Amino acid sequence: MSAKTLTQADLTSLVSDILAADKRVVAPSLVGIGPLEHIEYRPLHKAEDMVLDRGLPKRSIKEMFFPPTEVVFRWKQKKSDVAIDEIPTTFQQTVVIGALPCDAAAPGIVDRVMNWDYRDELWNGRREATTIVAMACDGGDKSCFCTAVGLGPESSKGADLLLTPVKAGYHVDVLTPKGEELVSKYSKRFGEAKSADEAKKYQEAARKKVEGNLSFDAPKMRAWLEGNFENEYWRTIALRCHGCGTCATMCPTCHCFDIVDENEGVLAGERRRNWDTCQTGKFTLHGSGHNPRHDQNARFRQRVTHKFAIYPGKFGEILCTGCGRCQRQCPGGMDLLEILGDIARMAGGAA
Amino acid sequence: MKALQELARKLLEDKTVSVVIGYEEGPHGVRPAFITKPDQADRLIFDPRCVHNLATFLSPRRSHLVTLGKKAVVVKGCDARAVAGLVRETQIKREDVVVIGVRCGGVTGDPMGDGKLTEKNVAPRCAVCDVREPKLADHLVGELPPAPPTPKGPDMVAKLDAMTPEERWAFWQKELERCVRCHACREVCPMCFCERCIADKSMPQWIESSAHPRANLSWQMTRVLHMAGRCVGCGECVRACPANIPLGLILKKVAAVVEERYGYRVSDDPSVPAPIGTYRLDDKQEFIL
Amino acid sequence: MSATTTSEAKGFQPRIVAFVCNWCTYTGADLAGTSRLQMASIVRIIRLPCTGRIDPLFIIKAFERGADGVIVSGCHPADCHYTAGNYHARRRFAVAREIFDFMGIDPRRITFSWVSASEGGKWAEVVNDTTARVRELGPFTAYREMAARTA
Repeated sequence: MSAKTLTQADLTSLVSDILAADKRVVAPSLVGIGPLEHIEYRPLHKAEDMVLDRGLPKRSIKEMFFPPTEVVFRWKQKKSDVAIDEIPTTFQQTVVIGALPCDAAAPGIVDRVMNWDYRDELWNGRREATTIVAMACDGGDKSCFCTAVGLGPESSKGADLLLTPVKAGYHVDVLTPKGEELVSKYSKRFGEAKSADEAKKYQEAARKKVEGNLSFDAPKMRAWLEGNFENEYWRTIALRCHGCGTCATMCPTCHCFDIVDENEGVLAGERRRNWDTCQTGKFTLHGSGHNPRHDQNARFRQRVTHKFAIYPGKFGEILCTGCGRCQRQCPGGMDLLEILGDIARMAGGAA
Repeated sequence: MKALQELARKLLEDKTVSVVIGYEEGPHGVRPAFITKPDQADRLIFDPRCVHNLATFLSPRRSHLVTLGKKAVVVKGCDARAVAGLVRETQIKREDVVVIGVRCGGVTGDPMGDGKLTEKNVAPRCAVCDVREPKLADHLVGELPPAPPTPKGPDMVAKLDAMTPEERWAFWQKELERCVRCHACREVCPMCFCERCIADKSMPQWIESSAHPRANLSWQMTRVLHMAGRCVGCGECVRACPANIPLGLILKKVAAVVEERYGYRVSDDPSVPAPIGTYRLDDKQEFIL
Repeated sequence: MSATTTSEAKGFQPRIVAFVCNWCTYTGADLAGTSRLQMASIVRIIRLPCTGRIDPLFIIKAFERGADGVIVSGCHPADCHYTAGNYHARRRFAVAREIFDFMGIDPRRITFSWVSASEGGKWAEVVNDTTARVRELGPFTAYREMAARTA
């Protein structure tokens, strides 16, 4: 669609404007103490809390659409009757600012399953209330592989606006009607586009930086995964895996949840859904004591297969945006890039 | 390094063990290695990036590793305490594991970094290290490197101790708010060896599984109490935490309490009894009416 | 619930939960009752076999569910019906108490005591002391608000 320019100062003012209009702004900001200080996507209290120059936040954007825990409904028992309190599925208007392309693309991929055989009102309510202003990435580090899954450091997938850093501030690509709306509402903050070439250069350099990290032929990989469930390769794949599930916690596209009931006394309670992960033994443990995914090797196979074969088979998209968090943050040193590279070689699709 | 590789090769060749758990250079920095063939032994390395506590892999809870057979494990002095802990609490038999001790000059918190130790990146546990030569080792390899730099920064435990209960409450509320109840802290912990954790029990539901403030506090308080006299201070929970919660502070506090009251310092001698689970008739009871 | 409203109107009545052992403190509390000793009537007693069975998690759970104060009480050292349950409990509570304090839970909200079967008077004292202390500290609003904040 169209393009604009935004200076650093105007971006700060834009955030203040949106906050003043009683909307929520989510952006990378500092949390934690001392050596544990890091950036996470957080609702901002003021524009100055936004931190856009520290790369990828530790956790992905997913929790803004799918919180670690949320109430699905509340119930009260009255004699032999049960009254259900529905949870509102409309949410405060939110603008996410500074989502990196690997995060911005993720909700759109998860949309498929959240609107498949059942329309998930809580997910969709938050999606509809949210405008995503993505920030083109500088190419990240050696753990990034967005280009291998069909995205890239400049990918605009899932973004309503895409900012690309330029000398004058940001070059802005306006991509969707939601993006148009934001630009026209706060038009005084945006200037005429004049850095398109500079932005393009930035994006090309970023892509070059990340491209060498990994590449594979996705259809061939899928075919290999579908035909090699019992392959010897899986038997020792996850020796160093602790089963801590940090990969799934960090992942922008992992979306499994558990449903629990929490009672308040004996006559009332709430049903909640909480994050869950296929990397823990409890995930598939049967009441009988039998566990079909009996060890970490089987559980890690599931993670890879779901992302690169099952999901693409069902929904036509890889369930991964190449953000690299699962490798970067794994306390046991599990390396998805290495595993995908191995499979690509076995599948004959390595570039 | 050569000595370590030679030793591993020998242990595998003469079938003393069927796997050597050590460190190797992966595509993205140092990571745990599982060497099962003598000709792979030259993959083994040891340098300041080797932060992982490999004793964690000895826990019988890791079913995919139990099937590998008898293990040798590379440990730093601090990690050896976890081996001792597992023996002390009858999780493994001492004779079932060959302990390869490496002399250590400190590690960085980042296995993907450049491995240069600085005041900034040295792991917090190295500040209080007094076991740079693991005592529990069956084999000790390497030269003793110079002592690591001392990490800089305020003593947060003392800072918290000096606060009022209300201030401490506010501090922990803010930090624990980020907990997502993934239980990664538990899964990576060498001493969290329960086959079924109290947090996973649902009848009764002692600790709710939801990541809300009530359950987050209950979970972390319970975990730290179960760690009293057990925690070896390796910091794996802090490294794994996807929310960077300063779990180290609570664990440091509980270790200090146990040491002050019961004279117990986490030990690499499996025959030293655990402080919780034993007692003395004259234990202090100044807080009891 | 309506009972709470009436009692709040009359001034703050703390909710106190007492975890006591079956053999000493429970019997002592019984003696206090049958001896018609005057004591605050707001303590809910939960009887367990032994202080060795009282997990610090019980205390956390009591606060989670709205307690303002907690009493843990059992046999004097050397008197444990099971020989050593109270010795084990003593170590556990000594540590738990300091950790609660470190996390911001005022230790004055928790009383530990040894009350034997013959010490009805001491039980009444423990109850009255605790009630007075907790009343002074006021309702444990911080914990209750935290416990209710479930978003």
